Amino acid sequence: MTIDSRLEWLDPVTRRQVLRGAMAGGAALAAGGFLGACGGGDEGGGGDGGGSPATGTANQKLRTGGTLRVGATGGGASDTIDAHRPTVDTDIMRCWNLYESLAVRTPDFSELQMLLAESIEPGRTPQTWTVRLKPDLTFHNGKPVTADDVIFSLRRIVDPDDPKVGAASINYIDEQRLRKMDDRTVRITLQFPNAGFPDDLGQYFNAIVPTDYDPENPVGTGPFQYQSFTAGQESTFTKFAGYWENGKPYVDELVILDFPETTARVNALLGGQVDAIDNLPAAQIDAVRANPNLAVLISETGAWQPFTMRVDQAPFDDVRVRQAFRLIVDRQQMVDQVLSGQGTIANDLYARYDPVYASDLPQRQQDLEQARSLLRQAGRENLSVELVTAPVFQGIVEAAQVFAEQAKGAGVNVRVRRVDSGTFYGDNYLRWTFAQDFWASRVYLSQVAQGDLPDSPFNETHWREPRFIDLIQQARAEVDDAKRKDILHEAQTMQYEQGGYIIQYFSNIIDAHSARLGGFVEAKSGFPFGNYWFKNIGFLANT
Amino acid sequence: MRKLVVRRLALGVLTLWLISLVVFAAVLALPGDAATAILGREATPDRVAALRDQLNLDDSVVSQYLQWLGGVLTGSFGTSAATQEPVRDLLSARVGNSAFLVLVASLVAIPLSIGLGVWMAMKRDKPVDHVGSTTTLVLAALPEFVIGIGLVFIFATGVFNWFPAVSLLPPGEKAWQDPQVVVLPAATLVLAVTPYISRIMRGSMVEVLESEYVTMARLKGLSERTVIWRHAVPNAIVPAIQVAALQLAWMAGGVVVVESVFSYPGIGAALVDAVDNRDMPVVQTVTMLAAGVYVLLNLLADLATILVTPKLRTAAR
Repeated sequence: MTIDSRLEWLDPVTRRQVLRGAMAGGAALAAGGFLGACGGGDEGGGGDGGGSPATGTANQKLRTGGTLRVGATGGGASDTIDAHRPTVDTDIMRCWNLYESLAVRTPDFSELQMLLAESIEPGRTPQTWTVRLKPDLTFHNGKPVTADDVIFSLRRIVDPDDPKVGAASINYIDEQRLRKMDDRTVRITLQFPNAGFPDDLGQYFNAIVPTDYDPENPVGTGPFQYQSFTAGQESTFTKFAGYWENGKPYVDELVILDFPETTARVNALLGGQVDAIDNLPAAQIDAVRANPNLAVLISETGAWQPFTMRVDQAPFDDVRVRQAFRLIVDRQQMVDQVLSGQGTIANDLYARYDPVYASDLPQRQQDLEQARSLLRQAGRENLSVELVTAPVFQGIVEAAQVFAEQAKGAGVNVRVRRVDSGTFYGDNYLRWTFAQDFWASRVYLSQVAQGDLPDSPFNETHWREPRFIDLIQQARAEVDDAKRKDILHEAQTMQYEQGGYIIQYFSNIIDAHSARLGGFVEAKSGFPFGNYWFKNIGFLANT
Repeated sequence: MRKLVVRRLALGVLTLWLISLVVFAAVLALPGDAATAILGREATPDRVAALRDQLNLDDSVVSQYLQWLGGVLTGSFGTSAATQEPVRDLLSARVGNSAFLVLVASLVAIPLSIGLGVWMAMKRDKPVDHVGSTTTLVLAALPEFVIGIGLVFIFATGVFNWFPAVSLLPPGEKAWQDPQVVVLPAATLVLAVTPYISRIMRGSMVEVLESEYVTMARLKGLSERTVIWRHAVPNAIVPAIQVAALQLAWMAGGVVVVESVFSYPGIGAALVDAVDNRDMPVVQTVTMLAAGVYVLLNLLADLATILVTPKLRTAAR
């Protein structure tokens, strides 16, 4: 309960060690990719490509220079380059490279890494926080980064008349009480104590922009600076020479190309028109590995794509029905059939990489007998429900179909209603009785704030148990890690027994890239290419 | 003749207006609007309200439609609901690219398929005819995206590396400035439409070659070349013109699928994106363009038929 124990999780030294660990892990993974590629080559009697991968990866030496062309998933006329409005993958990729937030979770998700901030420290209680900026930071246009820019950015995000993406995570900042202490220091006061504030703040979409920010000519602090942007087609960036991290980025130019069609994206990589693509379909892994010039990067993540049952609507207002539905799922079959094995089974709980994750709760298995019996007790035999699905994320529609198949085993008729994304997010969004969603990795308390409190912006299951709310409030105010973990264990047990989510798996992210590139790290965060950090990517020295 | 053209044009305009009503009703029937569609997963009520405000979506849909229709009459096509840019700026480069693709494809496909049809008819029941018939039948049965993916595999990624696998164009550059990007998409369209035209051409050519006046011409000692090209083809070509027009009209819409296989920066991608975004003015404009091409090509085909058929030509006078 000392100040020290409170600050332990912010300690910069461990943070750096962890980051280095992540890099090593990434290198090892890349080696796996190379070995796979060579195996494929040997069968064909080749194996000449890829150079000497063993030495190349043990100490991946990257050279500076070159143009990195990345094929990104999706994109269209409504793409944006505004720091605070990223919506689709292409927007998010641009934001990670053009802008920076005060802090962010490392790709391996073990630590909140300070980016623009030197420190984010709580006051006597976790209701006030002091952000101190690193010295000598500048924006792309040479203007120094100051406390005024931080205050301007936070106000721009939570603006009640035009809330941005980040408003959902930090709308409890007391806007009137943002104080500039000196040029590099800001004091932030919250509407309630929250020990999890740094994680809510430390999201890529809460980037710091200058007080004269103009999205038409965007200026940030990220490793790459703006060159051009054409919605739905391509955006180009050049290396920011004044970037704070020494020696980075490696490449001189970054080109992001939009690919609404997966086939075209993969073909562009195979044909050498781009150097890297995100979201490679699992079915194509072997085809890409068979090419000695390419490598595959597979990351286990904390990303989840749940089924959402509204706990306040029939038939899911009866906890036994929710329990029965969770018992219907054959999780391993879901991973195998929907994700082609590229995932890990889950236990109806999220935030698997948070130290508070209740990993001791027994793994839920398919139990159709028990499910039938629960439905019988609830008076819901021969239940028939509609499941609304839309192709909003890889595998979601397929998961709905597999679930409908598995439900037959318990005598439940699930009618899968497939709609387009515009309908899914239309007037009934967040109001569907039984639907699906997708989420990235988050720490537990941030995730709860997003989706499991009465005032959460995305409370799709309409979960509002008074005891649960009480536990979350206690945990937010609790600065002792061990005590907080105990409180949150009880909260998770409640969700495990009564919640409205069916969380069947955590999905992997699969990227593919030219074997001439190095520096990729595995990303548990759920963002491709290790948090889209192209500052870490470069061409191998021997290419 | 002039009367016919005027009447057909008037009917065409009426057809287009009816289509615009149907498209309007269809967009109206889709749940959600541009604001919820653009925000997608982030469509929280407060953000939707703010964006609706920015996009002026609070105007009624009927007034949006009337604005669009009024715009069409003055040639402006309105403002995109999703991007607030003039639809004309949004689409002009893409329309050019798509038109160029269709033009290249038809300039290759029409002579090729007519020649192929004539050749197969002349070699009737010979190996050439059998191979040609089977190949065209197989090609006709394949969906165009399968043909496209096959071409990419052979000529771009798998076997050879001759052409770009996807048609990437730097923003602002037109397809004709970098003709390489058109090769595979155009080849796909050619392979997709050639079977239909060539099979019709072969069929009607076979019929004509069996007719008495061809026998007569041969008996008179005219050279085979004259018999075929002066006497047989002009009479056999009428059905082929009709089918070719239908195929070209199909291309105006079918180009959507081919463009998506190659990520070709044409109207196809713009249409798909606009439907996703519930962007009524853009959807309307693109469908109007495709429908307009359809109407116009049918008219041209009828006129061509009249011009090559003496009986109709004199009757229309």
